[in-house]
Amino acid sequence: MRPTTRVLRLQRAQPLYLAHRRHAHTTPHTNVTTEAEKTTHFGFRTVPETSKETLVKDVFNSVASKYDLMNDAMSFGVHRLWKDTFVSLLKPGKSGAIRCLDVAGGTGDIALRILDYAKDNYADRETSVEVLDINSEMLKEGYKRFKKTMYHKSARIVSFIEGNAQKLELPPSTYDLYTIAFGIRNCTSIPDVLKEAHRVLKPGGTFACLEFSKVDNPILATIYENYSFSIIPLLGTILASDRASYQYLVESIRRFPPQSQFGQMIRDAGFETGGDFEGEGGAWRDLWGGVASIHTGVKI
Amino acid sequence: MNTSRLLQLAIPLVKEHGFTRKTLSLSVLSLPSPHQHPLSDTAISAIFGRGDEARKALFKAWLEQGRREMLHSENKSLAPVLKSRLSWNEPVLRYLPEAFALIASPASGIPPLDLRPALKHAATIADQACYISGDASVGTAWYTRRASLATIYAAAELHQLTSPTTAYGFLDNLLTTPQSAEKAIGEVGLFADYIGKSWAGILRSSGIF
Repeated sequence: MRPTTRVLRLQRAQPLYLAHRRHAHTTPHTNVTTEAEKTTHFGFRTVPETSKETLVKDVFNSVASKYDLMNDAMSFGVHRLWKDTFVSLLKPGKSGAIRCLDVAGGTGDIALRILDYAKDNYADRETSVEVLDINSEMLKEGYKRFKKTMYHKSARIVSFIEGNAQKLELPPSTYDLYTIAFGIRNCTSIPDVLKEAHRVLKPGGTFACLEFSKVDNPILATIYENYSFSIIPLLGTILASDRASYQYLVESIRRFPPQSQFGQMIRDAGFETGGDFEGEGGAWRDLWGGVASIHTGVKI
Repeated sequence: MNTSRLLQLAIPLVKEHGFTRKTLSLSVLSLPSPHQHPLSDTAISAIFGRGDEARKALFKAWLEQGRREMLHSENKSLAPVLKSRLSWNEPVLRYLPEAFALIASPASGIPPLDLRPALKHAATIADQACYISGDASVGTAWYTRRASLATIYAAAELHQLTSPTTAYGFLDNLLTTPQSAEKAIGEVGLFADYIGKSWAGILRSSGIF
């Protein structure tokens, strides 16, 4: 009951949601069944598949300029450690220069880490990253960030593409590494994203996903649950004047499939993964007891 | 395609490259549609785990394959079945001491030596040999039969590491001599010696000394 109450409150507070409700009311009755068959979740709400992309875009348009500030505030800076762990697990540059695609990577957090890791650890300045995001505002933030770094003049090393993870307008078998960090849960169809990832990776290429996940420890889960639903939207209100968008972010985390199920989805897309367990040799690795997890797969 | 398929493709490469990450990376070159390049280190870690975890996965797959190969022994009586298992070791004999040291060394270093995987290996082979030879022991005899066979096989395998040509005769001798199990236990010292030498080798190669 609790989440439903929250959603209703959101709908009253935000024009974004009201717009969607008006759309639902004006939909001819004969089409209701058809739309109901093609629905997806948007946080705890069920929305037509066609709407989710726009709704998510609106959320990220809204949060783009304060995205990093809010991430720091919400996670006490831990998201930086997770991203560092994510990249260091992948060891970009260890086997020579590679071509990476960082999807939903608008602000350039992962791209920058990949380039730095390859340079600092393997003296590799040839590894390149293409940053893809559906949201132009997020890409602008990333572009701005890269202008402050040593990579700003090299379009060969880093480039920015506006595009949809579910329909990549990129050639097949092109990339050695596909990364997506805190992005896949916002996509309308996760299987489509995975299918596209499989298509654009070279044989032997690695898919890697960092995403919020399910906490198994009941004590930690309770603390995390209360923090997520009470503190994060409040921080959104105070720091970004945008409670609804941050409420959505929290709800979308809860709707994301648990580790094992997501691992199976990766295998269903054609990837090879480790065993169906957490840890070395397994399909995923938990961070902070499952608050976030890293899934990997290889195109064979 | 699944992980075990890649491991199956890697097993024939062990005799040349050992129980290494390189062996795993080369497995994709033997696929029906072979890759142009070996798997990257990132891909090996993603599927099999980082560092020695991937090597352990390969060694365990090799042990499992060896157990299955026992089923193909032409003579299904006990001694030939165990000998067929010893012959499975032959092409990779030079890599075995380090591989056994690897699975006996926990990743955390605590305890420093974990003999359970080696004991499990011997017990599994003894059980498989009993199954193939149609052993009909029940009750306490079921356990004692397997325990003594595991001890005998472990001793023969350790003997094989130092003297491959005499290992088969040694096994025959242990199986036919009444006090064979007691003699076999005496070979435990040989095992400890091998593990010690392997550790020293690992430490030297890691640059600690």
